[in-house]
Amino acid sequence: MKKLLKTKWFIALVVLLVLAAFAILSLIPGSPIKNLLRPVQLVGSPAQSIVKSAGDTITDFWSAITDGIAIREENKALKEQIADLRYHLTQNEEAALRYEELKEALHIKDTFSNYVIYGASILSRESDEWFSTIRLNAGTADGIVLQPGHSYPVLDVEMNLVGRVIETSDTESRVLPLLHEGFAVAGKVNEVNGATFMVTGDAELKRKGLCLVKDIDADVRLEPGMEIVTSGEGGLFPEGIPIGVIESVDNSNPLEITATLRPYSQIGKLEDVFIMIPYVEPSDETAQTTVG
Amino acid sequence: MRIINENTKSRARKVIVYTIYIFLLSTLQVSFPDAFSFAGQTADLMFVFVVLSGYFNGFWDGAVVGFICGLLRDVFSPPAVVGLDGEVRVTAFIGAFTLFAAGITGASFFTKRMHRNIPFSVVAVMFVTFCYKVAGYVLIFGWSSISGINMNFYNPVAAFVYSFLPQLLLNTVTAIPLIVLIRFLGPVSFRNTKRKDDVISDSGEGTWLGI
Repeated sequence: MKKLLKTKWFIALVVLLVLAAFAILSLIPGSPIKNLLRPVQLVGSPAQSIVKSAGDTITDFWSAITDGIAIREENKALKEQIADLRYHLTQNEEAALRYEELKEALHIKDTFSNYVIYGASILSRESDEWFSTIRLNAGTADGIVLQPGHSYPVLDVEMNLVGRVIETSDTESRVLPLLHEGFAVAGKVNEVNGATFMVTGDAELKRKGLCLVKDIDADVRLEPGMEIVTSGEGGLFPEGIPIGVIESVDNSNPLEITATLRPYSQIGKLEDVFIMIPYVEPSDETAQTTVG
Repeated sequence: MRIINENTKSRARKVIVYTIYIFLLSTLQVSFPDAFSFAGQTADLMFVFVVLSGYFNGFWDGAVVGFICGLLRDVFSPPAVVGLDGEVRVTAFIGAFTLFAAGITGASFFTKRMHRNIPFSVVAVMFVTFCYKVAGYVLIFGWSSISGINMNFYNPVAAFVYSFLPQLLLNTVTAIPLIVLIRFLGPVSFRNTKRKDDVISDSGEGTWLGI
């Protein structure tokens, strides 16, 4: 028996069983098992930051050399775009003034006015085909406090949906990306009273960078090229965040119409993202306490 | 009098070289995955390194390096899975479990019979990658059945073409530079040694670092 306990295979089996048990226990809400990884995080995160910044420096240097001509042409195009936008801005200034007047009169609410936007950089991306998450360099110390049962939308610089925050630590947040197999968001066609459906990640479509659109009513006509935005149902995401465009529609089964969606955000190319946190008005009691 | 003998030197070399490779490869993989991607799959640098460490340097090297790389994977890019209550949660220790298993599998199936020769190290990487993919699909399928999640999955043929083959190809290509690094700039020196198996048995196979 003593001999068996000392064999490498027995030890390996025990280690595997313990690790499997830890992995299962980590799924329990509020499990302290994850704290065991904190020392590894303390050592690993700075090391990763060094390698990442070194890699970024090399990439930037290489880009500076190779992208010269492209940048010049882009600069020319951007100057033309600025001129065009200035013209539109002048035209829209008056419309904006009128909108503000009507907004107060009709009590219209801005889509994202009740949200505070936090900027964050992507520290690490998906390392595997299956179920990986993204790590951001903003945590509870930066104001990203995740209440139980809540989740915050994560957007790219063009305000397109990237994913949602599902866990935070002191200095970091974990994001469930749009293409993740467990991701789901209620979407709708970007038009007034557009019909709603579910946009989810899908193991098979992930490879092509696509999402699955399901739970589509039989009377809804989806067509390739239609823009899909969040519907606001479910409460996690505000209405109107652009998700992507319909790539194809499968009507072969009228009882189960599905479609594929190509997300606007290209997670592989993102460096910085924004976290939307609902703004909570301080209650009267809190306000009085603060004043007092 | 020599304070640092050869044994201490080789142990120090092992720790330092492994530390550098572990941090470098794991951080590269999660920081710049697009640089190692093809057909929707990413070359698994950590995984290949762990298998090769086990194959070339013995069971305990595979186990220890696999465990440490796995912990780093759990920190850098932990998987999030749908729990039994339907909520998606970030897990811990799945990376440690996977890479620990990969390390000991890589070491055990080939080292003795193949005498750690270089061509069979590629076969070891392909074999363990295949096992990993099969086990992954079986586990995901089993878990989604238990938790009642409706998941769209590849059929076996599509899984082989779109998931197994690209991953096998990428891991095999990745193995080539890593073999050169481990064999010639690695944690264990094979210079002036004709009987490699004995060297490994002395310095790695019995207990890691001879502790």
